[in-house]
Amino acid sequence: MFRSHFLNMVIFSALVSVFFAFLTQTDRRERLKVMAILCLCMIVLSLIVAYAMYPFPSNKH
Amino acid sequence: MPSKGVSAFISCLLAWVVPGGGHLYLGKRSRAAVFFLVVVATFLLGILNQGRSYLIDRDQPLTYLAALTNIATGPMELASRQLTYHRLVYRLPADENSPESAQLLQAMRERVKIVTDEYGTTYLLTAGLMNILLMLDAFDIAIGRKA
Repeated sequence: MFRSHFLNMVIFSALVSVFFAFLTQTDRRERLKVMAILCLCMIVLSLIVAYAMYPFPSNKH
Repeated sequence: MPSKGVSAFISCLLAWVVPGGGHLYLGKRSRAAVFFLVVVATFLLGILNQGRSYLIDRDQPLTYLAALTNIATGPMELASRQLTYHRLVYRLPADENSPESAQLLQAMRERVKIVTDEYGTTYLLTAGLMNILLMLDAFDIAIGRKA
């Protein structure tokens, strides 16, 4: 369906963030806060890890 | 203090049958609706990305956990299994050289070749893991450990 790795990552992060925000919080504002922090952390940390791995050799010759 | 007039077993069972069903049973309507939408959306993304359900392989212990996670999604998991293997099967036959085993491995290989298979499989596993957490959450609410 979606071939873009980034798009899949954003959708996945959004779904997981909504899930955990509703699972762990009861207040509406707290839910929004947790949702935003979780989603942002997942995306930003993934990008940082991706760039950190960039210099490492791959299996491609 | 345990919630009055509710059964922890029924709430867990309903949570497994329908994502969010346990919370609906416990009177948490808005949370139930959100959980239902999120888990079903995750599962559908797995199907649309052509993810595969895991089969139990005796030689690979981690496949037990993966298959269990798939099963935790509830009855809708049958759809993904049917789409992957064209029948409802949960483990590879013990005899590796049997025609049935070859057929199942071929169905699995066909899925692995699809570009989006990894994404789809991850979505399917995530839907199952979310539903496990929902069952535990419904249990906690039913016994009064959580509001």
